[in-house]
Amino acid sequence: MSQACVTRWISCPECEASCRDHALPPGTELHCQRCGVRVKKASGLRSLQPAWAFATAGLFFAVLANGNPILTFDVAGNTQSNLIVTGVFSLFQQGYGPVAALVFFAGLAGPVLHMAAVWYVAAACCLAQRWPALRRVAKLAESLEAWNLVPVYAVATVVAVVKLDMLGTVDWQQGAWWVLVLSLCSLFTVQFFDRGLVEQGLEELT
Amino acid sequence: MSGHASARLQTAQALVVTGLILYIPANILPVMTMTVVGEVEPLTVMGGVQELYDSGLAPIAGIVFLASIVVPFCKLAALSWLLLMHGRPVWQRQRGALRRIVHTVGSWSMVDVFLLSILAAVGQLGVLASVVAEPGALFFSAVLICTLFASESYNAAMIWQTQEGLAP
Repeated sequence: MSQACVTRWISCPECEASCRDHALPPGTELHCQRCGVRVKKASGLRSLQPAWAFATAGLFFAVLANGNPILTFDVAGNTQSNLIVTGVFSLFQQGYGPVAALVFFAGLAGPVLHMAAVWYVAAACCLAQRWPALRRVAKLAESLEAWNLVPVYAVATVVAVVKLDMLGTVDWQQGAWWVLVLSLCSLFTVQFFDRGLVEQGLEELT
Repeated sequence: MSGHASARLQTAQALVVTGLILYIPANILPVMTMTVVGEVEPLTVMGGVQELYDSGLAPIAGIVFLASIVVPFCKLAALSWLLLMHGRPVWQRQRGALRRIVHTVGSWSMVDVFLLSILAAVGQLGVLASVVAEPGALFFSAVLICTLFASESYNAAMIWQTQEGLAP
């Protein structure tokens, strides 16, 4: 059998249907015949570079967002400031361990793990390195995407400021800006970590 | 249908039914009690929205209402419909799109839980201003966890499974 007759099949990242793979002209995309989701884009491994860059920046800003106070609340001269983790401790001390665990995972651990997983896979693809457990980490990154809720935390912070402003004096602190920057980084990381590109990158590595 | 897919389907069904049951106490019971200058006020999810609205902050009240009341309800309704339609070879593309929307938008219902954590963190000023979590927060969190895991369990490939097996 000649080489030209060999049909290559790739799996749709959404519905897992087998799609007939073929060379794509620049700027075009291969869509799943069954569910219509984009399976492949005509671009090289380098297109995961933005995801890599935003994940790197996100991990850096996660340290700053978690290490600096977000708000300061003042009532009659009594002041209290907070970190993301302070809310977790307060809920835990009030006997609401499961709620504290949810806040810890969705606001702190989930985003960091998600960006670390994206960093690992995107870096491996961009550097063309066959690092261990790449497929498993890519799957983990996909699962953790729903738990990267820093943008939701940023919105909750705005709502909290509005609510607290009715009761006392609220001042934004440096941590709030880092949370905002981290939110943007996490949104862009999700946007650029395209499953089709990841699948394509991993295929070319293995 | 394979045993693995069947187990995933049953897990998703169990989580959605649990979420629907817990949605009621999550909205009836107070999620927090705010004490401001000695005045104690228990707040439900809807109470928090009402308070923001009454203070003239309609846009913020709208965001919280959408994120905390509408999104969890729509997510539960959409997941219930997807599970009811399971195995039927109709509207599969639309069902896939709905599942993607549910997966993307669903996490915004965490606003209220994060809000509680921020208020509980800064609201530690005794009788001057304090915020304490209430049992409603537990039920509300449980609803969110149920919906998150249900949409994770019922993956897109399962939409394309028919009664006879996998669609071509």
